[in-house]
Amino acid sequence: MQREVGTLPLAPALRARLAAAGFQTAQELLDTGPCGLSKEIGISREEALEALQVVRQECQGDAARTAGESGATRRCTALELLEEEQTQGFIITFCSALDNILGGGVQLTKITEICGAPGVGKTQLCMQLAVDVQIPECFGGVAGEAVFIDTEGSFLVDRVVDIAAACVQHCHLIAEAQQEQDHRKALETFSLENILSHIYYFRCCDYIELLAQVYLLPEFLSEHSKVRLVVIDGIAFPFRHDFEDLSLRTRLLNGLAQQLIIIANDHKSAVVLTNQMTTRIGQSQSTLVPALGESWGHAATVRLIFHWDNSQRLATLYKSPSQKESTIAYHITSHGFRDVQPPAATHSAEGTERNPRKRPRTEEEEH
Amino acid sequence: MVVLRAGLCPGLTEDMIQLLRANGIRTVVDFVSSDLEDVSQKCSLSYKALVAVRRVLLAQFSAFPANGADLYEELKSSTAILPTGSPSLDQLLDSGLYTGEVTELMGAPGSGKTQVCLGIAASVSLGLKQHVLFLDSTGGFTASRLYQMLRAQTEDEEEQAALQRIQVVRAFSIYELLSALQELRDRLSQQVVSSMGPLKMVLLDSVSAVIYPLLGGRQSEGLALMMQLSRELKTLAREFSLAVVVTNQVTRDSGTGPLKPALGRSWSFVPSTRVLLESKETTWDKGTTQRVASLAKSPRQPTGIQVELDIG
Repeated sequence: MQREVGTLPLAPALRARLAAAGFQTAQELLDTGPCGLSKEIGISREEALEALQVVRQECQGDAARTAGESGATRRCTALELLEEEQTQGFIITFCSALDNILGGGVQLTKITEICGAPGVGKTQLCMQLAVDVQIPECFGGVAGEAVFIDTEGSFLVDRVVDIAAACVQHCHLIAEAQQEQDHRKALETFSLENILSHIYYFRCCDYIELLAQVYLLPEFLSEHSKVRLVVIDGIAFPFRHDFEDLSLRTRLLNGLAQQLIIIANDHKSAVVLTNQMTTRIGQSQSTLVPALGESWGHAATVRLIFHWDNSQRLATLYKSPSQKESTIAYHITSHGFRDVQPPAATHSAEGTERNPRKRPRTEEEEH
Repeated sequence: MVVLRAGLCPGLTEDMIQLLRANGIRTVVDFVSSDLEDVSQKCSLSYKALVAVRRVLLAQFSAFPANGADLYEELKSSTAILPTGSPSLDQLLDSGLYTGEVTELMGAPGSGKTQVCLGIAASVSLGLKQHVLFLDSTGGFTASRLYQMLRAQTEDEEEQAALQRIQVVRAFSIYELLSALQELRDRLSQQVVSSMGPLKMVLLDSVSAVIYPLLGGRQSEGLALMMQLSRELKTLAREFSLAVVVTNQVTRDSGTGPLKPALGRSWSFVPSTRVLLESKETTWDKGTTQRVASLAKSPRQPTGIQVELDIG
């Protein structure tokens, strides 16, 4: 193959030696053989053998792809991707306004970032999503499991129990209203214990543990193939203190982002990250902007910013490949993440489950 | 830097090579740049033989100069100008994207780079009926949005055919990206007639996502790989008359400095045209689809001109 030596995934020291010895293409390397190679560059025969194996693998992969087999590349036409996207589900958030601006809910195979000031509801939404991803397909969910990586220690099981109980109650009410066979069958497995047992919780205390956890995640996900959501609550926290070398931080964060997008793509799961806010001090005024710098803004595919407007919580969709920018209001009740009560429907109190605003969703969930 | 090997040219035997190597001459460059009298004395080889070998090596390995007029004729016949689908952007780029060149779109997150790329892909695939290769390294390619754009442009049932002409490759690391480009080069040079028809455009969204994890720290390997990538892109553009569009990020020097394109000075020499996309409003509360595109670098137009775009 006419693949240049500089483009092969070898160690940099080895690559430098190969360039100094005058090797240009991969074909020359393969022709020389391991003994000749170890003599020319001055490395041991085992190292030369290893390097040649890598080269051979790359070239065989190239040849297979040129011949038309799909191999390991993720190559397809836009038409096939469109069909895939149309059959993919969304993870609903139980707040229909938020689902609307997101285009149906949190999308699978994409990274969604939630930024906001402290106390605005980021962890609440993460816990809500960890429960919502498990909703069975007949109710309009994705029927997957969730991985929750916690760096700040803000995951409270009692709260998840409340949210899960409200979700199960909601599904029971739908099943009673619809009276269909598969609804009742699905409800047998959709119970509180089941929901809690399918949320896999990891606690990482510093950035090295977080990086290690993310790099080990593909193995975990291939064992637990039903995982459809990976939440990292607090990606800013471990990277914002004790970091002297900022260029190292940028490099690690970008490597982390690429690893997460590979996970999202290969395992067809949604990745949700929460970020903190920091102040940018300008000439005349200061603004709140998401933390971790400019380059991190490009890592997430979809960006939501939660903020306050007096005492009302608002969510703004700031970046999305398919939806327009817009702002909606939301509410956090004892049952979790919910819409804001419209002023007209005043007769429905907050405690009851039978709300008129919930009925439109049941129509949506029928496919 | 090609290593001297027996059979590289007539007259270069194995014994000669061993003698030369014993004196420190291993590659063609070493041979051609050394003093042949000196070499013939040290290696006890015939001077005439060395001169003959040198002549053949020079003929084999040096580049041929080309006449400016010939070059111009060749460019006139092989360059095409592809419309981007947005008349104001075409005006900014001097009627469109030129094949044989690398064009760069840069902007802050949410400024519309992926949307403009999708628009270009839609316009080339639907309007010109040419094939497009979209290299996605951020996961931002959404086929439903592309479908929406196609539906807005045509009423006939041509969207399916247009979607089939757009190939999407997801390459999330630098080596995958280089493999994908190498594979493209092999296929184009062998002219394999598959579903890949006449390819005219390659879009890479984004180049900084794959390069950023390598830069920084005290490694120079990141820069080397970046230059390798730029060479692949430029060779593809020039040899096969493709228009290559890449997207790039912007960074700030300090917390409050002005925005500047990412990847540094070395990368700034790679694209021949650079367009900066910005939002019109400075606050992010208002949701608008208006963007401002300004020309930061161009071989044909004066820099600094601005147009307004609608990415809605």
